[in-house]
Amino acid sequence: MMTFKLQIVIGVALLAVFAILVNMIRKRSLELKYALVWMLMLVALFIFDCAPTLLNVVSGLIGIYAPVNMIFFLGFCFSLLIIFSLTVALSRLSNSIRTLDQMVALNEKRLQDLESQLGQRQEEDTMQEGQSEERGLSVDAEDSAADTVL
Amino acid sequence: MKKLVIIPAFNESGNILHAVADIREHAPDFDYVIVNDCSTDATLRLCREYGLNYVNLSVNLGIGGAVQTGYLYGVQNGYDLAVQFDGDGQHDAAYLPRMADELSRSGSDMVIGSRFIEKEGFQSSGLRRIGIRYFSGLIRLLTGARVSDPTSGMRMVNRDVMTIYANSYPKDYPEPESVVAILRMGKKVTEIPVVMRERREGDSSISGLISVYYMIKVTLAILMECLRKEPTL
Repeated sequence: MMTFKLQIVIGVALLAVFAILVNMIRKRSLELKYALVWMLMLVALFIFDCAPTLLNVVSGLIGIYAPVNMIFFLGFCFSLLIIFSLTVALSRLSNSIRTLDQMVALNEKRLQDLESQLGQRQEEDTMQEGQSEERGLSVDAEDSAADTVL
Repeated sequence: MKKLVIIPAFNESGNILHAVADIREHAPDFDYVIVNDCSTDATLRLCREYGLNYVNLSVNLGIGGAVQTGYLYGVQNGYDLAVQFDGDGQHDAAYLPRMADELSRSGSDMVIGSRFIEKEGFQSSGLRRIGIRYFSGLIRLLTGARVSDPTSGMRMVNRDVMTIYANSYPKDYPEPESVVAILRMGKKVTEIPVVMRERREGDSSISGLISVYYMIKVTLAILMECLRKEPTL
């Protein structure tokens, strides 16, 4: 049987962790989606902590002698669950990073190609403009030449 | 017919110019694209200085992610076929036109350049050959197809398979797994004999304990591929 003292210690610890968790979600430093498993674990542990008789029943049901071991066992299972969910999230993340990286690289490439095409076209444009300006100048020169003749 | 050579490059500054020169000389009707997989050496600088056609990844993705970038590039730019070509000097560009001929002649979806049909040139070490033969046997057992060199990095695919690979390609040690993936989708894979050289510079990425990991990982990957009911597109 769990002592009352231990019950209180565990209860206070659980409440403290829960408060920290909520505060972090409030400050948006923790994504609610990933915090859900943690909250679930805290709630489950808290229920068992508050109602040791329930703990006795369940631990008796699956053949655990000391009910306090049930608490530890539950905590362990939840930890594994959380680690697993993290691995899943990690796999998803690494896939998204891969896709993002590839898209960035290909877009950068397209941008470079477009820039160099644009540069060439601008060069051609300025060359044409220069030619027409020269032509304009020569017309002026002819005009002035005609003026002087006149 | 637009043809693309994909050159994945991770720290290949010593080899990359040779590879491009080789392609320009021996496979002049192929375009090429270098995928710089976030190299830490001068690879990117060389690409810029010599005005090479390159795509630059800003996060290192490993060989699978780099090659897939090349396939994406091929799909986006309307290429009809794409071939992987290692930038480390192992591959000989003179085989590229021959592989293209074989692809259209046999009507297959993938042509692999195999070292083990005529058993010429660099054959890699004895242990590695045993490993490759093992994969070859495993693939035959699971798909019924005969592929003598499933680990060969010299593979040419048509537009169809290019699109498949652009959508889904294994991350690391992708060669055997990706062959199995398209075999399971009913694609046709043929091989032509090629001679490969020993790499010009740098070490193979697969050695020592890593080779044990390689064997286990690739075996599992192939088995998983066969467990996928709907072949992933």
